[in-house]
Amino acid sequence: MSRLRWGLIKRQMVVQLQVATLNLYSLGLFVIQPAVFIAVGMLLSHAAGNAMPDLVYSVVGGGIMGMWSGLVFSSTYDIAGDRYNGMLELIVGSPTSLATVEAIRTLTNVLSGLFSLSLAFITSLAIFGYSLHGVNFWGAGISLLLLLFAMWCMGVFLANFIAWSRISTWFVDYLEMPIAFLCGFMYPIRVLPGWLQILSGAIPIRWALQAMNESLLGNRDLTFLATHWAIAIGISLIFLAITRWLQVKVHDSIRLSGELSSI
Amino acid sequence: MDPSAIVASSLNKTFNTKTGLWKTKTKSTIAVEDISFNIERGELFGLLGPNGAGKTTTVKMLTTLLLPTGGTAKILGLDVVRQTAEVRRHIGFAFSGSRGLYNRLTAIQNLKYFAELYALDPAITRKRIPELLELVGLSQRGDDRVETYSSGMVQRLHLARALLHDPEVLFLDEPTVGIDPVGARELRQTIKNLISLGKTILLTTHYMAEAEELCHRIAIINKGRIVALDSPDALKRRISGDSVIEATIQTAQAHILMDRLRILDGKTVVELKNSTEPEKLCIRTPEPARVLELLSPYLNPQYIQGLEVRNQTLEDVYITIIQGEKE
Repeated sequence: MSRLRWGLIKRQMVVQLQVATLNLYSLGLFVIQPAVFIAVGMLLSHAAGNAMPDLVYSVVGGGIMGMWSGLVFSSTYDIAGDRYNGMLELIVGSPTSLATVEAIRTLTNVLSGLFSLSLAFITSLAIFGYSLHGVNFWGAGISLLLLLFAMWCMGVFLANFIAWSRISTWFVDYLEMPIAFLCGFMYPIRVLPGWLQILSGAIPIRWALQAMNESLLGNRDLTFLATHWAIAIGISLIFLAITRWLQVKVHDSIRLSGELSSI
Repeated sequence: MDPSAIVASSLNKTFNTKTGLWKTKTKSTIAVEDISFNIERGELFGLLGPNGAGKTTTVKMLTTLLLPTGGTAKILGLDVVRQTAEVRRHIGFAFSGSRGLYNRLTAIQNLKYFAELYALDPAITRKRIPELLELVGLSQRGDDRVETYSSGMVQRLHLARALLHDPEVLFLDEPTVGIDPVGARELRQTIKNLISLGKTILLTTHYMAEAEELCHRIAIINKGRIVALDSPDALKRRISGDSVIEATIQTAQAHILMDRLRILDGKTVVELKNSTEPEKLCIRTPEPARVLELLSPYLNPQYIQGLEVRNQTLEDVYITIIQGEKE
Protein backbone atom coordinates (compact mmCIF):
# COMPACT_ATOMS: atom_id res chain seq x y z
CA MET A 1 0.00 0.00 0.00
CA SER A 2 1.42 3.37 -0.98
CA ARG A 3 2.02 5.91 1.76
CA LEU A 4 -1.08 7.51 3.23
CA ARG A 5 -0.86 11.30 3.11
CA TRP A 6 -3.24 13.75 4.74
CA GLY A 7 -3.66 15.64 1.45
CA LEU A 8 -4.71 12.44 -0.33
CA ILE A 9 -7.07 11.41 2.49
CA LYS A 10 -8.74 14.84 2.50
CA ARG A 11 -9.05 15.08 -1.29
CA GLN A 12 -10.29 11.50 -1.69
CA MET A 13 -12.92 12.06 1.02
CA VAL A 14 -14.09 15.31 -0.57
CA VAL A 15 -14.30 13.67 -4.02
CA GLN A 16 -16.13 10.71 -2.52
CA LEU A 17 -18.71 12.99 -0.90
CA GLN A 18 -19.13 15.11 -4.04
CA VAL A 19 -19.32 12.23 -6.49
CA ALA A 20 -20.95 9.41 -4.59
CA THR A 21 -22.50 10.48 -1.30
CA LEU A 22 -24.26 13.81 -1.67
CA ASN A 23 -27.11 12.78 -3.93
CA LEU A 24 -30.71 11.57 -3.74
CA TYR A 25 -29.68 7.93 -3.92
CA SER A 26 -27.68 8.31 -0.73
CA LEU A 27 -30.61 10.05 0.94
CA GLY A 28 -32.57 6.86 0.36
CA LEU A 29 -29.68 4.73 1.53
CA PHE A 30 -28.86 6.59 4.72
CA VAL A 31 -32.27 7.99 5.72
CA ILE A 32 -35.25 6.28 4.06
CA GLN A 33 -33.97 2.70 4.18
CA PRO A 34 -33.09 2.83 7.93
CA ALA A 35 -36.47 4.43 8.59
CA VAL A 36 -38.16 1.48 6.88
CA PHE A 37 -36.12 -0.99 8.96
CA ILE A 38 -36.96 0.91 12.14
CA ALA A 39 -40.67 0.80 11.27
CA VAL A 40 -40.48 -2.96 10.60
CA GLY A 41 -38.65 -3.49 13.89
CA MET A 42 -41.27 -1.53 15.80
CA LEU A 43 -44.15 -3.39 14.13
CA LEU A 44 -42.62 -6.81 14.81
CA SER A 45 -42.04 -5.87 18.42
CA HIS A 46 -45.64 -4.68 18.69
CA ALA A 47 -46.91 -7.87 17.01
CA ALA A 48 -44.91 -9.91 19.53
CA GLY A 49 -47.01 -8.32 22.25
CA ASN A 50 -44.41 -5.98 23.69
CA ALA A 51 -46.01 -2.88 25.17
CA MET A 52 -42.76 -1.01 24.73
CA PRO A 53 -40.38 -2.07 21.94
CA ASP A 54 -36.73 -2.68 22.62
CA LEU A 55 -35.34 0.57 21.28
CA VAL A 56 -31.73 -0.62 21.14
CA TYR A 57 -32.55 -3.37 18.66
CA SER A 58 -35.55 -1.87 16.88
CA VAL A 59 -34.45 1.72 16.45
CA VAL A 60 -30.66 1.85 16.84
CA GLY A 61 -30.54 -1.50 14.99
CA GLY A 62 -32.32 0.17 12.06
CA GLY A 63 -29.58 2.79 12.02
CA ILE A 64 -26.89 0.08 12.02
CA MET A 65 -28.74 -1.60 9.15
CA GLY A 66 -28.67 1.68 7.21
CA MET A 67 -24.98 2.09 7.96
CA TRP A 68 -24.17 -1.43 6.73
CA SER A 69 -26.33 -1.12 3.60
CA GLY A 70 -24.74 2.24 2.86
CA LEU A 71 -21.29 0.75 3.19
CA VAL A 72 -22.02 -2.27 0.98
CA PHE A 73 -23.90 -0.36 -1.73
CA SER A 74 -21.51 2.59 -1.77
CA SER A 75 -18.45 0.36 -1.94
CA THR A 76 -20.04 -1.74 -4.67
CA TYR A 77 -21.18 1.11 -6.84
CA ASP A 78 -18.07 3.26 -6.32
CA ILE A 79 -15.84 0.68 -7.95
CA ALA A 80 -18.44 -0.42 -10.51
CA GLY A 81 -18.97 3.26 -11.37
CA ASP A 82 -15.25 3.88 -11.66
CA ARG A 83 -14.89 0.86 -13.93
CA TYR A 84 -17.76 2.13 -16.09
CA ASN A 85 -16.48 5.69 -16.43
CA GLY A 86 -12.85 4.72 -16.95
CA MET A 87 -11.59 6.05 -13.62
CA LEU A 88 -10.55 2.64 -12.29
CA GLU A 89 -7.92 2.39 -14.99
CA LEU A 90 -6.56 5.85 -14.23
CA ILE A 91 -6.43 5.20 -10.49
CA VAL A 92 -4.65 1.88 -10.96
CA GLY A 93 -2.26 3.55 -13.42
CA SER A 94 -1.28 6.22 -10.90
CA PRO A 95 1.49 5.85 -8.32
CA THR A 96 -1.14 5.65 -5.56
CA SER A 97 -2.33 2.08 -5.10
CA LEU A 98 -5.96 1.13 -5.59
CA ALA A 99 -5.78 -0.36 -2.08
CA THR A 100 -5.01 3.08 -0.62
CA VAL A 101 -7.85 4.69 -2.54
CA GLU A 102 -10.25 1.95 -1.44
CA ALA A 103 -9.15 2.28 2.19
CA ILE A 104 -9.97 6.01 2.21
CA ARG A 105 -13.21 5.55 0.32
CA THR A 106 -14.42 2.85 2.66
CA LEU A 107 -13.56 5.06 5.63
CA THR A 108 -15.63 7.85 4.07
CA ASN A 109 -18.52 5.45 3.52
CA VAL A 110 -18.33 4.16 7.10
CA LEU A 111 -18.28 7.70 8.49
CA SER A 112 -21.16 8.67 6.18
CA GLY A 113 -23.04 5.72 7.62
CA LEU A 114 -22.64 7.24 11.07
CA PHE A 115 -25.23 9.76 9.91
CA SER A 116 -27.77 6.90 9.75
CA LEU A 117 -26.83 5.69 13.17
CA SER A 118 -26.95 9.19 14.68
CA LEU A 119 -30.33 9.84 13.11
CA ALA A 120 -31.69 6.55 14.45
CA PHE A 121 -30.30 7.28 17.89
CA ILE A 122 -31.79 10.78 17.96
CA THR A 123 -35.11 9.30 16.76
CA SER A 124 -35.09 6.80 19.61
CA LEU A 125 -34.44 9.61 22.10
CA ALA A 126 -36.73 12.30 20.71
CA ILE A 127 -39.67 10.31 19.34
CA PHE A 128 -39.73 7.05 21.28
CA GLY A 129 -38.54 8.38 24.61
CA TYR A 130 -35.51 6.15 24.97
CA SER A 131 -33.82 7.04 28.25
CA LEU A 132 -30.05 7.30 28.56
CA HIS A 133 -30.39 6.46 32.21
CA GLY A 134 -28.14 3.53 33.07
CA VAL A 135 -26.30 3.50 29.73
CA ASN A 136 -22.63 2.49 29.91
CA PHE A 137 -21.33 5.46 27.93
CA TRP A 138 -17.64 4.56 27.85
CA GLY A 139 -18.45 0.97 26.95
CA ALA A 140 -20.76 2.10 24.16
CA GLY A 141 -18.21 4.66 22.92
CA ILE A 142 -15.33 2.18 22.71
CA SER A 143 -17.62 -0.41 21.13
CA LEU A 144 -18.80 2.12 18.54
CA LEU A 145 -15.21 2.88 17.55
CA LEU A 146 -14.51 -0.83 17.19
CA LEU A 147 -17.75 -1.28 15.25
CA LEU A 148 -16.57 1.39 12.79
CA PHE A 149 -13.18 -0.32 12.54
CA ALA A 150 -14.78 -3.74 11.98
CA MET A 151 -17.09 -2.33 9.29
CA TRP A 152 -14.13 -0.63 7.61
CA CYS A 153 -12.20 -3.94 7.60
CA MET A 154 -15.18 -5.75 6.06
CA GLY A 155 -15.61 -2.92 3.54
CA VAL A 156 -12.02 -3.06 2.26
CA PHE A 157 -12.22 -6.86 2.22
CA LEU A 158 -15.35 -6.86 0.03
CA ALA A 159 -14.00 -4.06 -2.20
CA ASN A 160 -11.35 -6.47 -3.48
CA PHE A 161 -13.95 -8.74 -5.01
CA ILE A 162 -15.67 -5.87 -6.78
CA ALA A 163 -12.39 -4.64 -8.22
CA TRP A 164 -11.56 -8.20 -9.27
CA SER A 165 -14.49 -8.68 -11.64
CA ARG A 166 -17.81 -7.21 -12.64
CA ILE A 167 -19.64 -10.42 -11.81
CA SER A 168 -18.46 -10.46 -8.21
CA THR A 169 -20.36 -7.19 -7.65
CA TRP A 170 -23.50 -9.34 -7.51
CA PHE A 171 -21.87 -11.66 -5.01
CA VAL A 172 -21.09 -8.73 -2.70
CA ASP A 173 -24.64 -7.40 -3.05
CA TYR A 174 -25.99 -10.82 -2.07
CA LEU A 175 -23.82 -10.81 1.05
CA GLU A 176 -25.44 -7.68 2.46
CA MET A 177 -28.50 -9.31 4.04
CA PRO A 178 -26.90 -12.59 5.22
CA ILE A 179 -24.19 -10.65 7.08
CA ALA A 180 -26.81 -8.33 8.60
CA PHE A 181 -28.78 -11.42 9.61
CA LEU A 182 -25.76 -13.14 11.16
CA CYS A 183 -24.55 -10.07 13.04
CA GLY A 184 -27.87 -9.52 14.84
CA PHE A 185 -28.38 -5.92 13.80
CA MET A 186 -32.00 -5.90 14.94
CA TYR A 187 -32.15 -8.69 17.53
CA PRO A 188 -29.89 -10.20 20.20
CA ILE A 189 -27.47 -12.74 18.75
CA ARG A 190 -28.65 -15.33 21.31
CA VAL A 191 -31.95 -15.79 19.43
CA LEU A 192 -30.06 -17.36 16.50
CA PRO A 193 -29.71 -21.18 16.35
CA GLY A 194 -26.46 -22.40 17.85
CA TRP A 195 -24.72 -23.20 14.58
CA LEU A 196 -25.56 -19.78 13.18
CA GLN A 197 -24.13 -18.17 16.32
CA ILE A 198 -20.88 -20.05 15.64
CA LEU A 199 -20.94 -18.89 12.02
CA SER A 200 -21.58 -15.31 13.05
CA GLY A 201 -18.51 -15.50 15.29
CA ALA A 202 -16.33 -15.19 12.18
CA ILE A 203 -17.63 -11.68 11.49
CA PRO A 204 -15.92 -8.95 13.53
CA ILE A 205 -18.93 -6.62 13.31
CA ARG A 206 -20.94 -9.07 15.38
CA TRP A 207 -18.60 -8.82 18.40
CA ALA A 208 -18.29 -5.04 18.38
CA LEU A 209 -22.03 -4.61 17.89
CA GLN A 210 -22.89 -7.03 20.66
CA ALA A 211 -20.62 -5.07 23.03
CA MET A 212 -22.25 -1.81 21.95
CA ASN A 213 -25.80 -3.08 22.36
CA GLU A 214 -25.01 -4.54 25.77
CA SER A 215 -23.41 -1.21 26.81
CA LEU A 216 -26.50 0.69 25.66
CA LEU A 217 -28.56 -1.70 27.77
CA GLY A 218 -26.38 -0.88 30.79
CA ASN A 219 -23.93 -3.81 30.87
CA ARG A 220 -20.79 -2.74 32.79
CA ASP A 221 -19.12 -6.15 32.97
CA LEU A 222 -15.58 -5.27 31.90
CA THR A 223 -14.60 -8.91 31.29
CA PHE A 224 -17.56 -9.40 28.95
CA LEU A 225 -16.90 -6.17 27.09
CA ALA A 226 -13.09 -6.56 26.90
CA THR A 227 -13.47 -10.11 25.56
CA HIS A 228 -15.82 -8.91 22.84
CA TRP A 229 -13.52 -6.01 21.95
CA ALA A 230 -10.46 -8.25 21.79
CA ILE A 231 -12.25 -10.75 19.54
CA ALA A 232 -13.54 -7.93 17.31
CA ILE A 233 -10.02 -6.52 16.95
CA GLY A 234 -8.47 -9.96 16.39
CA ILE A 235 -10.90 -11.02 13.66
CA SER A 236 -10.71 -7.57 12.04
CA LEU A 237 -6.94 -7.89 11.83
CA ILE A 238 -7.28 -11.36 10.28
CA PHE A 239 -9.60 -9.85 7.65
CA LEU A 240 -7.07 -7.07 7.05
CA ALA A 241 -4.26 -9.60 6.56
CA ILE A 242 -6.38 -11.58 4.06
CA THR A 243 -7.32 -8.30 2.37
CA ARG A 244 -3.67 -7.32 1.96
CA TRP A 245 -2.90 -10.70 0.38
CA LEU A 246 -5.93 -10.41 -1.90
CA GLN A 247 -5.03 -6.87 -2.99
CA VAL A 248 -1.77 -8.03 -4.54
CA LYS A 249 -3.56 -10.92 -6.29
CA VAL A 250 -6.35 -8.66 -7.55
CA HIS A 251 -3.89 -6.04 -8.84
CA ASP A 252 -2.21 -8.68 -10.99
CA SER A 253 -5.41 -10.49 -11.93
CA ILE A 254 -7.25 -7.43 -13.28
CA ARG A 255 -4.24 -6.45 -15.36
CA LEU A 256 -3.99 -9.93 -16.78
CA SER A 257 -7.66 -10.32 -17.63
CA GLY A 258 -8.27 -6.77 -18.83
CA GLU A 259 -11.10 -6.37 -16.29
CA LEU A 260 -9.86 -2.88 -15.41
CA SER A 261 -11.69 -1.19 -18.23
CA SER A 262 -14.27 -3.82 -19.18
CA ILE A 263 -17.80 -2.50 -19.18
CA MET B 1 22.02 7.46 -20.19
CA ASP B 2 20.08 4.97 -22.29
CA PRO B 3 18.94 6.84 -25.43
CA SER B 4 15.81 4.72 -25.61
CA ALA B 5 12.75 5.99 -23.76
CA ILE B 6 10.60 3.00 -24.63
CA VAL B 7 11.81 -0.49 -25.56
CA ALA B 8 9.32 -3.20 -26.42
CA SER B 9 10.80 -6.65 -27.05
CA SER B 10 8.64 -9.46 -28.43
CA LEU B 11 5.56 -8.25 -26.57
CA ASN B 12 2.62 -10.63 -26.57
CA LYS B 13 -0.85 -10.39 -25.15
CA THR B 14 -3.45 -13.13 -25.23
CA PHE B 15 -6.82 -12.72 -23.57
CA ASN B 16 -8.51 -15.81 -22.21
CA THR B 17 -12.26 -15.67 -21.81
CA LYS B 18 -14.27 -18.37 -20.14
CA THR B 19 -17.80 -19.28 -21.13
CA GLY B 20 -20.30 -21.62 -19.49
CA LEU B 21 -21.21 -22.04 -15.85
CA TRP B 22 -20.39 -25.67 -15.12
CA LYS B 23 -18.49 -26.93 -18.15
CA THR B 24 -16.34 -23.92 -18.81
CA LYS B 25 -14.68 -23.41 -22.16
CA THR B 26 -11.70 -21.11 -22.52
CA LYS B 27 -11.37 -19.05 -25.65
CA SER B 28 -8.01 -17.44 -26.35
CA THR B 29 -7.73 -14.27 -28.39
CA ILE B 30 -4.32 -13.07 -29.49
CA ALA B 31 -4.42 -9.27 -29.27
CA VAL B 32 -0.71 -8.53 -29.70
CA GLU B 33 1.88 -10.88 -31.17
CA ASP B 34 5.63 -10.45 -31.03
CA ILE B 35 5.77 -6.67 -31.14
CA SER B 36 9.21 -5.03 -30.88
CA PHE B 37 10.27 -1.41 -31.25
CA ASN B 38 12.52 1.22 -29.69
CA ILE B 39 11.48 4.82 -29.18
CA GLU B 40 14.24 7.32 -28.56
CA ARG B 41 14.03 10.11 -26.01
CA GLY B 42 12.33 13.18 -27.49
CA GLU B 43 10.82 11.17 -30.34
CA LEU B 44 7.18 11.26 -31.39
CA PHE B 45 6.31 7.73 -32.43
CA GLY B 46 3.04 6.88 -34.12
CA LEU B 47 1.15 3.62 -33.89
CA LEU B 48 -1.31 3.24 -36.75
CA GLY B 49 -3.71 0.45 -37.47
CA PRO B 50 -7.33 -0.49 -38.03
CA ASN B 51 -9.78 -1.02 -35.18
CA GLY B 52 -8.87 -4.09 -33.14
CA ALA B 53 -5.32 -4.18 -34.50
CA GLY B 54 -3.79 -4.14 -31.01
CA LYS B 55 -2.77 -0.48 -30.67
CA THR B 56 -4.57 0.21 -27.39
CA THR B 57 -3.54 -3.16 -25.96
CA THR B 58 0.08 -2.30 -26.72
CA VAL B 59 -0.28 1.11 -25.07
CA LYS B 60 -1.96 -0.44 -22.03
CA MET B 61 0.88 -2.91 -21.58
CA LEU B 62 3.42 -0.10 -21.79
CA THR B 63 1.46 1.97 -19.28
CA THR B 64 1.31 -0.96 -16.79
CA LEU B 65 -2.48 -1.29 -17.11
CA LEU B 66 -2.21 -4.73 -18.69
CA LEU B 67 0.28 -7.48 -17.98
CA PRO B 68 1.93 -8.92 -21.09
CA THR B 69 1.65 -12.67 -21.56
CA GLY B 70 5.09 -12.70 -23.14
CA GLY B 71 8.06 -10.48 -23.92
CA THR B 72 9.38 -7.47 -22.05
CA ALA B 73 8.98 -3.73 -22.13
CA LYS B 74 11.00 -0.99 -20.52
CA ILE B 75 10.21 2.67 -20.02
CA LEU B 76 13.29 4.81 -19.30
CA GLY B 77 15.08 1.59 -18.44
CA LEU B 78 12.39 0.50 -15.96
CA ASP B 79 10.64 -2.83 -16.46
CA VAL B 80 6.86 -2.37 -16.79
CA VAL B 81 6.13 -5.64 -14.96
CA ARG B 82 8.70 -5.66 -12.18
CA GLN B 83 9.06 -1.90 -11.57
CA THR B 84 5.43 -0.91 -12.00
CA ALA B 85 5.29 1.81 -9.35
CA GLU B 86 8.46 3.50 -10.65
CA VAL B 87 7.22 3.40 -14.25
CA ARG B 88 3.92 5.03 -13.23
CA ARG B 89 5.72 8.04 -11.76
CA HIS B 90 7.45 8.77 -15.07
CA ILE B 91 4.62 8.32 -17.55
CA GLY B 92 1.42 10.11 -18.41
CA PHE B 93 -1.37 8.70 -20.51
CA ALA B 94 -4.62 9.88 -22.02
CA PHE B 95 -7.20 7.72 -23.71
CA SER B 96 -9.81 8.98 -26.12
CA GLY B 97 -13.46 9.45 -25.26
CA SER B 98 -15.46 10.99 -22.48
CA ARG B 99 -14.50 8.36 -19.89
CA GLY B 100 -11.79 9.00 -17.31
CA LEU B 101 -13.05 12.05 -15.46
CA TYR B 102 -15.59 12.70 -12.72
CA ASN B 103 -18.33 14.52 -14.61
CA ARG B 104 -19.90 15.98 -11.47
CA LEU B 105 -16.65 17.71 -10.58
CA THR B 106 -15.13 20.77 -12.22
CA ALA B 107 -11.96 20.56 -14.29
CA ILE B 108 -9.96 22.05 -11.42
CA GLN B 109 -11.43 19.60 -8.89
CA ASN B 110 -10.58 16.68 -11.21
CA LEU B 111 -7.02 17.92 -11.65
CA LYS B 112 -6.59 18.47 -7.90
CA TYR B 113 -7.71 14.90 -7.31
CA PHE B 114 -5.20 13.50 -9.79
CA ALA B 115 -2.50 15.77 -8.33
CA GLU B 116 -3.03 13.97 -5.01
CA LEU B 117 -2.97 10.55 -6.69
CA TYR B 118 0.40 11.53 -8.17
CA ALA B 119 1.54 12.88 -4.78
CA LEU B 120 2.32 16.35 -6.11
CA ASP B 121 3.45 19.00 -3.69
CA PRO B 122 0.50 21.39 -3.04
CA ALA B 123 2.60 24.41 -4.09
CA ILE B 124 3.42 22.72 -7.42
CA THR B 125 -0.26 21.76 -7.88
CA ARG B 126 -1.35 25.38 -7.38
CA LYS B 127 1.14 26.48 -10.04
CA ARG B 128 0.66 23.63 -12.52
CA ILE B 129 -3.14 23.56 -12.78
CA PRO B 130 -3.59 27.13 -14.15
CA GLU B 131 -0.58 26.61 -16.46
CA LEU B 132 -2.02 23.40 -17.88
CA LEU B 133 -5.52 24.81 -18.27
CA GLU B 134 -3.92 27.68 -20.18
CA LEU B 135 -1.92 25.23 -22.31
CA VAL B 136 -5.02 23.30 -23.34
CA GLY B 137 -7.21 26.39 -23.69
CA LEU B 138 -9.55 25.73 -20.77
CA SER B 139 -8.59 28.62 -18.47
CA GLN B 140 -12.02 30.20 -18.73
CA ARG B 141 -13.86 26.94 -17.99
CA GLY B 142 -11.79 25.52 -15.15
CA ASP B 143 -14.55 26.06 -12.59
CA ASP B 144 -17.26 24.47 -14.73
CA ARG B 145 -18.40 20.91 -14.23
CA VAL B 146 -16.97 18.47 -16.75
CA GLU B 147 -20.52 17.33 -17.63
CA THR B 148 -20.99 20.71 -19.35
CA TYR B 149 -17.93 20.23 -21.59
CA SER B 150 -17.91 19.38 -25.28
CA SER B 151 -16.03 16.22 -26.32
CA GLY B 152 -13.15 18.36 -27.56
CA MET B 153 -12.86 20.10 -24.21
CA VAL B 154 -12.94 16.74 -22.42
CA GLN B 155 -10.14 15.51 -24.68
CA ARG B 156 -8.04 18.58 -23.88
CA LEU B 157 -8.69 18.10 -20.17
CA HIS B 158 -7.46 14.50 -20.53
CA LEU B 159 -4.22 15.89 -21.93
CA ALA B 160 -3.90 18.37 -19.04
CA ARG B 161 -4.45 15.52 -16.58
CA ALA B 162 -1.82 13.39 -18.28
CA LEU B 163 0.68 16.25 -18.06
CA LEU B 164 -0.04 17.15 -14.45
CA HIS B 165 3.00 15.46 -12.94
CA ASP B 166 5.24 16.59 -15.81
CA PRO B 167 5.97 13.06 -17.10
CA GLU B 168 8.94 12.39 -19.35
CA VAL B 169 7.02 9.89 -21.48
CA LEU B 170 3.50 10.46 -22.73
CA PHE B 171 1.06 7.97 -24.26
CA LEU B 172 -1.78 9.53 -26.26
CA ASP B 173 -4.39 7.11 -27.54
CA GLU B 174 -6.33 8.72 -30.39
CA PRO B 175 -6.26 12.17 -28.78
CA THR B 176 -8.10 14.00 -31.55
CA VAL B 177 -11.04 11.61 -31.95
CA GLY B 178 -14.31 13.52 -31.79
CA ILE B 179 -12.69 16.94 -31.88
CA ASP B 180 -13.64 19.53 -34.49
CA PRO B 181 -10.94 20.47 -37.06
CA VAL B 182 -9.96 23.69 -35.29
CA GLY B 183 -9.72 21.96 -31.92
CA ALA B 184 -7.74 19.09 -33.47
CA ARG B 185 -5.29 21.53 -35.03
CA GLU B 186 -4.81 23.27 -31.67
CA LEU B 187 -4.23 19.92 -29.99
CA ARG B 188 -1.69 18.93 -32.62
CA GLN B 189 0.12 22.21 -32.00
CA THR B 190 0.13 21.44 -28.27
CA ILE B 191 1.63 18.02 -29.02
CA LYS B 192 4.34 19.66 -31.15
CA ASN B 193 5.08 22.05 -28.28
CA LEU B 194 5.47 19.09 -25.94
CA ILE B 195 8.01 17.52 -28.26
CA SER B 196 9.96 20.78 -28.34
CA LEU B 197 10.03 20.55 -24.53
CA GLY B 198 11.81 17.20 -24.83
CA LYS B 199 8.92 14.85 -24.06
CA THR B 200 8.80 11.41 -25.63
CA ILE B 201 5.37 10.67 -27.06
CA LEU B 202 3.74 7.50 -28.30
CA LEU B 203 0.65 8.44 -30.26
CA THR B 204 -2.01 6.17 -31.69
CA THR B 205 -4.29 7.59 -34.32
CA HIS B 206 -6.60 6.75 -37.19
CA TYR B 207 -5.84 10.03 -38.93
CA MET B 208 -3.04 9.58 -41.43
CA ALA B 209 -2.57 13.32 -42.02
CA GLU B 210 -2.13 13.75 -38.30
CA ALA B 211 0.46 10.98 -38.13
CA GLU B 212 2.26 12.38 -41.20
CA GLU B 213 2.32 15.88 -39.70
CA LEU B 214 3.43 14.89 -36.21
CA CYS B 215 5.33 11.63 -36.11
CA HIS B 216 9.07 11.12 -36.53
CA ARG B 217 8.50 7.41 -37.06
CA ILE B 218 5.42 5.29 -37.55
CA ALA B 219 4.65 1.65 -36.91
CA ILE B 220 1.70 0.19 -38.78
CA ILE B 221 0.10 -2.56 -36.77
CA ASN B 222 -2.40 -5.08 -38.08
CA LYS B 223 -3.86 -8.18 -36.43
CA GLY B 224 -1.56 -7.71 -33.46
CA ARG B 225 1.68 -7.56 -35.47
CA ILE B 226 3.82 -4.70 -36.72
CA VAL B 227 3.72 -4.85 -40.51
CA ALA B 228 5.75 -1.72 -41.26
CA LEU B 229 7.95 0.61 -39.22
CA ASP B 230 9.77 3.63 -40.58
CA SER B 231 9.67 7.40 -40.98
CA PRO B 232 6.66 8.74 -42.92
CA ASP B 233 8.89 9.65 -45.88
CA ALA B 234 10.55 6.24 -45.94
CA LEU B 235 7.16 4.53 -45.74
CA LYS B 236 5.95 6.58 -48.69
CA ARG B 237 9.07 5.62 -50.63
CA ARG B 238 8.13 1.97 -50.17
CA ILE B 239 5.67 2.39 -52.99
CA SER B 240 7.73 5.17 -54.50
CA GLY B 241 7.37 6.21 -58.10
CA ASP B 242 3.68 5.55 -57.91
CA SER B 243 1.29 8.38 -58.50
CA VAL B 244 -2.32 8.47 -57.52
CA ILE B 245 -4.95 9.52 -60.04
CA GLU B 246 -8.39 10.11 -58.66
CA ALA B 247 -11.17 10.43 -61.21
CA THR B 248 -14.65 11.57 -60.21
CA ILE B 249 -16.92 9.54 -62.48
CA GLN B 250 -20.51 8.95 -63.51
CA THR B 251 -21.58 5.81 -61.66
CA ALA B 252 -23.20 4.21 -64.72
CA GLN B 253 -19.96 4.42 -66.71
CA ALA B 254 -17.65 2.93 -64.10
CA HIS B 255 -17.40 -0.46 -65.79
CA ILE B 256 -16.42 1.09 -69.14
CA LEU B 257 -13.57 3.01 -67.54
CA MET B 258 -12.41 0.01 -65.55
CA ASP B 259 -12.43 -2.17 -68.70
CA ARG B 260 -10.37 0.47 -70.48
CA LEU B 261 -7.73 0.41 -67.74
CA ARG B 262 -7.58 -3.40 -67.61
CA ILE B 263 -4.93 -3.45 -70.32
CA LEU B 264 -2.40 -1.94 -67.90
CA ASP B 265 0.10 -4.27 -66.27
CA GLY B 266 -0.21 -5.58 -62.70
CA LYS B 267 1.75 -2.65 -61.21
CA THR B 268 -1.26 -0.39 -61.58
CA VAL B 269 -3.99 -0.80 -58.99
CA VAL B 270 -7.49 0.40 -59.88
CA GLU B 271 -9.97 0.76 -57.08
CA LEU B 272 -13.58 1.91 -57.29
CA LYS B 273 -14.48 3.99 -54.23
CA ASN B 274 -18.23 3.58 -54.27
CA SER B 275 -18.58 4.76 -50.70
CA THR B 276 -18.12 8.34 -51.92
CA GLU B 277 -20.76 10.39 -53.70
CA PRO B 278 -20.13 10.85 -56.60
CA GLU B 279 -18.08 7.67 -57.07
CA LYS B 280 -14.34 7.87 -57.56
CA LEU B 281 -11.84 5.71 -59.40
CA CYS B 282 -8.57 5.60 -57.50
CA ILE B 283 -5.66 4.52 -59.68
CA ARG B 284 -2.21 3.93 -58.17
CA THR B 285 0.28 3.66 -61.00
CA PRO B 286 3.94 3.99 -61.91
CA GLU B 287 2.77 5.14 -65.39
CA PRO B 288 0.52 8.20 -64.87
CA ALA B 289 1.07 9.44 -68.43
CA ARG B 290 -0.15 6.13 -69.86
CA VAL B 291 -3.23 6.16 -67.62
CA LEU B 292 -4.07 9.73 -68.62
CA GLU B 293 -3.67 8.76 -72.27
CA LEU B 294 -6.10 5.88 -71.84
CA LEU B 295 -8.60 8.07 -70.04
CA SER B 296 -8.31 11.10 -72.35
CA PRO B 297 -11.18 10.03 -74.71
CA TYR B 298 -13.46 9.99 -71.69
CA LEU B 299 -12.59 13.41 -70.34
CA ASN B 300 -16.10 14.79 -70.64
CA PRO B 301 -18.86 15.14 -68.02
CA GLN B 302 -20.68 12.09 -69.38
CA TYR B 303 -17.85 9.87 -68.08
CA ILE B 304 -15.34 11.81 -66.00
CA GLN B 305 -16.36 14.89 -64.08
CA GLY B 306 -13.02 15.65 -62.51
CA LEU B 307 -9.44 14.38 -62.40
CA GLU B 308 -6.69 14.84 -59.86
CA VAL B 309 -3.11 13.59 -60.07
CA ARG B 310 -1.11 13.59 -56.86
CA ASN B 311 1.79 11.91 -55.11
CA GLN B 312 1.34 9.08 -52.64
CA THR B 313 0.21 10.10 -49.17
CA LEU B 314 0.69 8.15 -45.98
CA GLU B 315 -2.93 7.11 -46.26
CA ASP B 316 -2.20 5.46 -49.62
CA VAL B 317 0.74 3.63 -48.06
CA TYR B 318 -1.40 2.56 -45.12
CA ILE B 319 -4.21 1.29 -47.33
CA THR B 320 -1.77 -0.54 -49.59
CA ILE B 321 -0.11 -2.25 -46.62
CA ILE B 322 -3.32 -3.14 -44.80
CA GLN B 323 -5.01 -4.36 -47.99
CA GLY B 324 -1.91 -6.34 -48.87
CA GLU B 325 -2.20 -8.01 -45.46
CA LYS B 326 -5.84 -8.88 -46.14
CA GLU B 327 -4.93 -10.54 -49.43
